[in-house]
Amino acid sequence: MSVVLAASDTAKAPPPTRSLPAVQALEISKRIDGRPILQDVCIDIAKGRYVALLGANGAGKTTLMKLLSMLAPPSGGQLHLFGQRVTREGSPKLRARIGLIGHQPMLYGDLTARENLLLFGRLYGVSDVADRAEALLKRVDLAGRADDPVKAYSRGMTQRASIARALMHGPDLLLADEPFSGLDAPSNQMLEELLAELHRDGKTIVLAHHDIEQSLRVAEQAVVLRRGRVVVDRPTRQLDRETTLAEMTGQA
Amino acid sequence: MTVLGQIVLLTGKDLRIELRTRQTVGLVITLGLLIVTVLGLGLAPEGKLGGYAAPAVLWVAYLFGGVLIFEKTMDKERRDGAMAGLMMAPIDRGVIFLAKLLSNLALLGFLAVVIALFAIVLFGLDLSAAPGGFAGVMAMSLLGFAAVGTLFSALTSSTRLSGGLLAMLVFPIAIPLVIASTSVLNRLFASKPAAGDDGTFLTALGVLVAFDVVFLVVSWLIFEVVLEP
Amino acid sequence: MRMRVTLYWLATAAAFAGGVALLILYTPRERTMGVIQKVFYVHLPSAICMLLCGLLVFVASIGYLGSRRMWWDDLAAAAARVAILLGAIVLMTGMLWGHIAWWGRMRWWYFTPKLTFSLLLFLLYLVYVMIRPAVESPQRRAVVAAVYGVIAFLDVPLVWLSARLIPDPLHPVNEGMAAPMKMTLLYWFVPVGLMVAGLIVARFRLNRAVRERADALAGSAGGDA
Repeated sequence: MSVVLAASDTAKAPPPTRSLPAVQALEISKRIDGRPILQDVCIDIAKGRYVALLGANGAGKTTLMKLLSMLAPPSGGQLHLFGQRVTREGSPKLRARIGLIGHQPMLYGDLTARENLLLFGRLYGVSDVADRAEALLKRVDLAGRADDPVKAYSRGMTQRASIARALMHGPDLLLADEPFSGLDAPSNQMLEELLAELHRDGKTIVLAHHDIEQSLRVAEQAVVLRRGRVVVDRPTRQLDRETTLAEMTGQA
Repeated sequence: MTVLGQIVLLTGKDLRIELRTRQTVGLVITLGLLIVTVLGLGLAPEGKLGGYAAPAVLWVAYLFGGVLIFEKTMDKERRDGAMAGLMMAPIDRGVIFLAKLLSNLALLGFLAVVIALFAIVLFGLDLSAAPGGFAGVMAMSLLGFAAVGTLFSALTSSTRLSGGLLAMLVFPIAIPLVIASTSVLNRLFASKPAAGDDGTFLTALGVLVAFDVVFLVVSWLIFEVVLEP
Repeated sequence: MRMRVTLYWLATAAAFAGGVALLILYTPRERTMGVIQKVFYVHLPSAICMLLCGLLVFVASIGYLGSRRMWWDDLAAAAARVAILLGAIVLMTGMLWGHIAWWGRMRWWYFTPKLTFSLLLFLLYLVYVMIRPAVESPQRRAVVAAVYGVIAFLDVPLVWLSARLIPDPLHPVNEGMAAPMKMTLLYWFVPVGLMVAGLIVARFRLNRAVRERADALAGSAGGDA
């Protein structure tokens, strides 16, 4: 199965002896229209780490994901991804190593799921696009409806197509912003396994998810945001649901 | 993948979506037909459009139709966040601009041909004096118009009020195109050119060329800076 | 601070009064056009200042796009506002001049190249000012306005060239100006220039204060959310 997940052209990278962290945020802040959304955020995520990003609504999780995916520049501080300083546009090479499952599916509704995967696969220069698209469609249980336009899909199916799109180019860093939303129990199970598999393959995963218990169970490290600041950055085994909840709301 | 390949891929995607849904073309052609009919009946009730009125009627249809095209093609990117997907892909952002410009030009060209045919059939628009010149002048004008329109559509599509706003932004900028192309066309279709017209003719052509060059380059440069998911 | 502002505007008013005195006492009456030719001394400096305001919008817009600092946007917005005020002055003096000197009683407007250019320029910057409130997010508004500010200024020479393509219905003869006329014209750049600079600075300060107030409110609200 892991053959599916590791894109042939990115799989060859050998594990460096002393590798640079996948994500290194130095006091980054973000203001949107004068409103501070993130303040003095410092995070270190080693390569291959599985991190859960937790926080109440409006704590800044989605904004942080946007910064990490280089869709928006930070207002202050420094962000390094894989040891490279992120500039306003971000370099194409760096962008190729990052995948995002976002709030929006990032798919063309008028195209079929397969066409979407082929399009994005080709943009990333994936060598065996057709096979890879087929394998991923199977993996997210969409093989049967792969040739229907995405706009005819249910919410859960769209979400699964979006997951497949994010994995098309075999990213080294997967940013998953509420990827479980809209998924039914079997799909939830499928995605959890899929993420675990990517983790085993050495990919770095940042998962923002509202289900605290599931987050703490699947991830190794937990980062809790409250009002745009990091209040907890600890291994998940040192945390339980109650402490995390208390940290999220600030009613410790 | 080469830059050219990326452009072909993205433009092909736009055109495939358009062929499949036929939303934009249907809407734009209908609007153009309405404009030509209403203005034609107002300006040439006897059914013969000529002189300065003919290019003006065509231009009104092209301007409004064009704005609708720019808006619709960019709307396809915004809906469901596809633009964020493109922005994350390891391609130069200028490629996104050029691909979108080509898609817009293809649709705009189609609109231009269909509307000109309407005007010929309904109002006896006579292009026989210089059909090639007409096509060339219009192609040059629409190129500059599409460059500015593509840039501004990327800016306004993420704001509310996008429709009216886009027209407000693009129309005043496009004024030199309308004046210069009308001037060139009148010269091309005049039975006997007046003395001293050559200078005017060259100035008008110069305005068209300068508009295309300046705004193609500037729009392409600015697009990268202002693109947002 | 307030004292300096008051002094500045007093000096500007004095410069205007001096200009009017020059027009009445010193400047000779133009032979063919008569007294009304004297609006020209207001008309031309206003037109040139309007172009300079367009240039300022252009520079500030590039400054904003390069640095994303909001005060560039405050400056561009201030310059655009003054530009349309000047545009209105140019159009009104131009119409009055033409009406009285050449066109006769019933005519207030001809599409002469210069008037057409002034009108198009006025419209160009009127749009700049009018679209701003239509974009809700201040940052987004600044980006849209900056791009328009750059494109609009690059459009100005093309508008000028294309305005000259319109067939000129009248050919007013520009006779040479006598030395006192030139002196008056030069002098009139002083009051108009003072007024323009003062208005831009005042408007810039106002824009900045309004924005900083809104930021402070948003900042405190954000802290509570």
